[in-house]
Amino acid sequence: MKRRSFLKGLCAVSAVTATMTPSLLSAEEKKKIQSPNAMDYKTAVDTITGGKGATESPKVSLTVPEIAENGAVVPVKVDVDHPMEENNYVKAIHVLAKENSNSRTADVMLTPLNGKGFFATRVKLAKTQEVVALVELSDGSFISAAKSVKVTIGGCG
Amino acid sequence: MAEEKRRSMIKIKPKKYSVGDIINVDFIIIHPMDTGMQKDKKTGNIIPAKYIDNITFFLDGKPFTSMKVWETVSTNPYFSVNLKVPGEGKITVEYTDNTGEKGSQSKKLQPKG
Repeated sequence: MKRRSFLKGLCAVSAVTATMTPSLLSAEEKKKIQSPNAMDYKTAVDTITGGKGATESPKVSLTVPEIAENGAVVPVKVDVDHPMEENNYVKAIHVLAKENSNSRTADVMLTPLNGKGFFATRVKLAKTQEVVALVELSDGSFISAAKSVKVTIGGCG
Repeated sequence: MAEEKRRSMIKIKPKKYSVGDIINVDFIIIHPMDTGMQKDKKTGNIIPAKYIDNITFFLDGKPFTSMKVWETVSTNPYFSVNLKVPGEGKITVEYTDNTGEKGSQSKKLQPKG
């Protein structure tokens, strides 16, 4: 019995140290270092849409993994079901990550030559959060789609 | 700026396509995409930010897609867009990063049939 309780105690201690140290370290580092172009999600949306905001639409389909084991490499795919004609096309696709210190990741300006509103890339996510695809149409309206991604290991240093 | 030799490539999917098809054009580049928030583990100094900030896709010198990119895109990134094949031509991708580094890559567009 003694041996068993001793082992239990050991396990508990190691578990506590393992969980405590990394969180303490990362908190300290976060205080010191700031992203060079930090911008929160609200400000980013306001600057992109000019304060108009966007409406959620089923026309935008956003493909992200439900759970990302490594936050440094999260594949993001945006498909827009909209015609690409001379006067009616998808003007821009913006990919945003809500909780990153710089929530903007990529602004893609498209033209009718593209043939389809499509964009794919890989992004870094600092923690579990929602990824947002903000789409600008040629008539000046904004539509969006959002999906949450569970991140096990953060990817922003 | 020290001109580093950087590897990049353009990939077209699918391999066989004809005029009028919508194809995927992928631009892949080996780039560190440093956020400016990480520390060098050996020296303890902050690694300065170095990331691609502008990419433009050209078809025969005419831009068809331009991107503004931030450091939140992954290391060794890839960017995929679509293109409706208008005929034979040449795709060129030019990029710049925040330290002023520039580069480009091109590939011929050869539709069959």
